[in-house]
Amino acid sequence: MAIRDDFEVVASQVRTAVQRFALGLLVIAAFGAMLLGKADTVLVEHARVLALDLASPVLEAIARPVAAANRVIADLKEFASLREENARLREENVRLLAWQTAARRLENENERMRGLANFREGPEASFITARIVGDSVSAYVRGALLNVGRKAGVASGQAVVTGEGLAGRIAEVGENRARVLFVTDVNSRLPVVIERTRERAILAGDNSPQLRLTLLQSVAGVQRGDRIVTSGHGGSFPVGIPVGEVVETGEGSVRVRPFADFSRLEFVRVVDYGVTGLVGSGGPAAPAAPPAGVRVR
Amino acid sequence: MRADGVLGMLDRWGRSALPGATLLFFVLLTLAPLRAPYLSGALPLLPALVVFQFSLATPERLPGPLLLIMGILLDLLLGGPGAPVGVSALGFVLIRAAVVNNRRYLVGVPFLFQWFGFCLLALGFVALVWFFTALWTWTAIDPLPALMQYAVVIVIYPLLAPLLARVRARDPLNVPDASRGTARPGETTS
Repeated sequence: MAIRDDFEVVASQVRTAVQRFALGLLVIAAFGAMLLGKADTVLVEHARVLALDLASPVLEAIARPVAAANRVIADLKEFASLREENARLREENVRLLAWQTAARRLENENERMRGLANFREGPEASFITARIVGDSVSAYVRGALLNVGRKAGVASGQAVVTGEGLAGRIAEVGENRARVLFVTDVNSRLPVVIERTRERAILAGDNSPQLRLTLLQSVAGVQRGDRIVTSGHGGSFPVGIPVGEVVETGEGSVRVRPFADFSRLEFVRVVDYGVTGLVGSGGPAAPAAPPAGVRVR
Repeated sequence: MRADGVLGMLDRWGRSALPGATLLFFVLLTLAPLRAPYLSGALPLLPALVVFQFSLATPERLPGPLLLIMGILLDLLLGGPGAPVGVSALGFVLIRAAVVNNRRYLVGVPFLFQWFGFCLLALGFVALVWFFTALWTWTAIDPLPALMQYAVVIVIYPLLAPLLARVRARDPLNVPDASRGTARPGETTS
């Protein structure tokens, strides 16, 4: 009896020791993964893409009911302010019609001027329309997952736009999935110009809903309401995509509100600027040509 | 307890796979493009909640290596260039260890105590992830969104925990270690 008790005591001690040891091992393994990820970013990139491709069927299944739920939430919100919204839209429509006339006139004029000046336009951009199937929005990341990937011609670094303006750029590409990094992400740096003054600057995200304008030559020239557009420096972005407007100018810091509404993104367009095609052997590369079965508009 | 036939076997398999499957579901749910304000921001903390809740009753069904894999998967899926991969794994493993070593204060006690325990551990988890993310990306990350996330998940806990506890309650092994073996099948403690 006493022997058996002793045995049980020893056994339980051994078990606790193993458990403690196991915890240490697990902690070391977690740290190992973190250090490995820091040292070998390419490996992590591959692992991320693999994880995305593996998780995508589940995401696809989750996305539909979630979209339905989102629509209900949005409907409820809009229902409350239907009347005001209608009045606002009618007013906006009148204003936009005036703008449309102006735009048509300018477009014609521009075309004639270009003909006169023998102006050569940049490469033609084409679009790949994608549905957002996943969010990667946390306290540290601002991004989303798209249902198009390498097969549809998406490549890392391409611009992602919504109807209102620039949303972000492609950060990672899997076979059928791509991850967008929004302009509001803390890792986003975007070469832009201020539309009115043509002054160059860098637009940086800091995970908050607004963006920060940095590397300005002078803050003095910036006014509230100035539109910020992409400058096209760095190559892969088209020139002149609207990004946002200045909402706050203080000492040394200019805040910009992005035009894209990240809280209700459903479809986005990936802009294929054809730069990859230019680098190739000179043939008329058409990387944007989507294979059958991919949702493209 | 003796396995009786195929159904019994399936039952046992289902039970042992349930915590892992639930955790996987919540890890994947993190990516769901839910547009509900506040709630969508708190989704990345729900796996930690699941780990806490299942560690209360059946830690043996969430073995450490599984937590490691789930944590790494969560970090890979959440993305973020330069963010540490494995910090959630570290957090999960530490939560489980903390719960297992403090069962006395967390199991078989009023719900408020469990909630308080979760508040403490979740705060530790948030601080851990924030610290390592800031260290790895070497930027001063604004802690406010993380704290916002934390506040939301604290509020969600009383809504979600009873659901998960219901899932657990059907488990005949769901009794504290001390009384294990004396409980009749179907008898549970809350």
